[in-house]
Amino acid sequence: MTNLAEAAPARAGAAPGSAPTRLAGLRSRRRKEALWFYLFASPWIVGFLVFLFGPMVASIYLSLTDWDSFTTPNFVGLDNYRQLLTEDPVFWTALKNTIYYSAISVPLGLLIGLWLANLLNKQVRARKLFRTLIYLPTLVPLVAAAMVFKMVLMPSGPLNDLLGLAGIPGPTWLLDPTWVKPSLILLSIWGVGSATVLLLAAMKGIPKELYEAAEVDGASPMRQFWSITVPQLTPIIFFNLVMGIIGAFQVFSQVYVLTRGATQAPEEASVMMVPFLFDQAFAFYHMGYASAISWLLFLVILGFTLIAFRTARKWVFYETEVK
Amino acid sequence: MAVLTDVAVDRPTAKETRTPRAFRATPFTYATLMIVSAVLSVPLVLVVSIALSSDQTVNANAFSIIPREFHWENFTRVFDTSLPMGRFLLNSVIISLFAVAGQMLSSGLIGYAFARLRAPGKNALFMVVIATMMIPTQITMIPQFILFKELGWINTFLPLIIPNFFSNGFNVFLVRQFVSRLPKEIDEAAMIDGLGFFGVYRRIMLPMLMPALIAIGIFTLTYTWGDFMGPLIYLNDESKMPLALGIQYISSTSAAMQAPPWNLVMVGSILLTLPMIIVYYLGQRYLYEMDISGGSAGVK
Repeated sequence: MTNLAEAAPARAGAAPGSAPTRLAGLRSRRRKEALWFYLFASPWIVGFLVFLFGPMVASIYLSLTDWDSFTTPNFVGLDNYRQLLTEDPVFWTALKNTIYYSAISVPLGLLIGLWLANLLNKQVRARKLFRTLIYLPTLVPLVAAAMVFKMVLMPSGPLNDLLGLAGIPGPTWLLDPTWVKPSLILLSIWGVGSATVLLLAAMKGIPKELYEAAEVDGASPMRQFWSITVPQLTPIIFFNLVMGIIGAFQVFSQVYVLTRGATQAPEEASVMMVPFLFDQAFAFYHMGYASAISWLLFLVILGFTLIAFRTARKWVFYETEVK
Repeated sequence: MAVLTDVAVDRPTAKETRTPRAFRATPFTYATLMIVSAVLSVPLVLVVSIALSSDQTVNANAFSIIPREFHWENFTRVFDTSLPMGRFLLNSVIISLFAVAGQMLSSGLIGYAFARLRAPGKNALFMVVIATMMIPTQITMIPQFILFKELGWINTFLPLIIPNFFSNGFNVFLVRQFVSRLPKEIDEAAMIDGLGFFGVYRRIMLPMLMPALIAIGIFTLTYTWGDFMGPLIYLNDESKMPLALGIQYISSTSAAMQAPPWNLVMVGSILLTLPMIIVYYLGQRYLYEMDISGGSAGVK
């Protein structure tokens, strides 16, 4: 620290010298600055090499081996991938379940969030109270939320009590192969508050004049919602859609907490990609096989994200866009 | 002027035009908001209700959504029964504090370097920073486990703490964007006054960076505090588990043929949730200030 403070005036003193000295001074100052940059950035560079890049390369190699993490890895080429794609039915079930979960929970969450945000954007009394109540569930850590839902979804739990009041016989939720995935979706919808708050903030940014003009032209509130609010929000809806897809494909804790235990629905009904990967790696020590799963998962996420970007051109509206 | 007012007669009155109908709340608006908030609150009320129930009530599944009995002693019982709930809580606090400190210490300095210092190769390196944000954790999970196993860090807090001292792509990006918005004249003036790069960072940048660093602290805390998979991979001993893993452990490994102590598990869930609510309440102005349009549409 102190020698740094001394170095600066020395640098300033070097400036008014003759042209070659000035140039040399500039060059050494530049070099010093670069050195400081690499010194400051070194934690990130080291972390990147040790915790990201190194493991990534290792993961590619491991995915080509048969390895139980104790003996030496046995190189098998693309055999893990072949086995996953052609022989392992659990992989396809996990993929199907994960797509089912993501394809419903993400759009549904956004739709409900949009609807709630639109209601909160009106001139309602006690808006803060409603907003807080809707947002509160998103602050509950996933494990705690899953614990609570274990109780909510019990065959004789509160949800079925509520349904009973309406005369609907509720299913056994987590124990029922057809209802275990909707149960997980229900839990994700409980966290609809984060999308709501985000969309509400974006709605506040839409110029009021647009609505006033539409009003003068006689557009109904419904028409104003679909022709002004929704198009103006498409960029943020799109952002949330992509982030939501990425997050939903990596669902783990809820599945682990809610679908494991003495009484549960058959595994095929609820197995998802990351829990499948986790079991292969840390329950069966199929490290090579699990690494191959992680790369396939990455490709699937990448694929869906690219599809989202492709279709975005058709429906995302950017104010500044010049066509 | 007169002509204009004449025209306006046919339209809605001036007052009505000021708030377009799209913004007017109807009884239906209130009804919907009330029902939705009530339904979303049911699980929260239920946690409190179960947490306050006696062991008998819980074993008989006889609890109600609205609390009917108030066994406040459950909240002290979790700390003196055979359940290591106090230990879980302490472990969570230790891991989270170190993780937060690590991210706040490293991200600020690294982000400042990327925003202000000039160096060959910096832009290429910054592209790498951005690219790292797209790597899913599952890909690096297994080799990282092997690495930490080789280092003998299994069943210690280190795998959950140490990587935070190296920052991550998202946080570097966040600080870099934040610093770029600050006027350059400030640190240039400080340099002329004789401060070196580290001096500029510590004396000038750090105080101004606080909102960004607090936001990073909140993100890290939220993530680490609620993290389940990390502890599940690295920690085996009951005495080492943080709260998030601990309550799952209690709920799944009670003695044979005996229901888990759900009331105490729910007390644990409340202990896990309350700090998040407090932190959000105290920190929300920093989060809004950062204007981060993150979030993930309900899918956490």
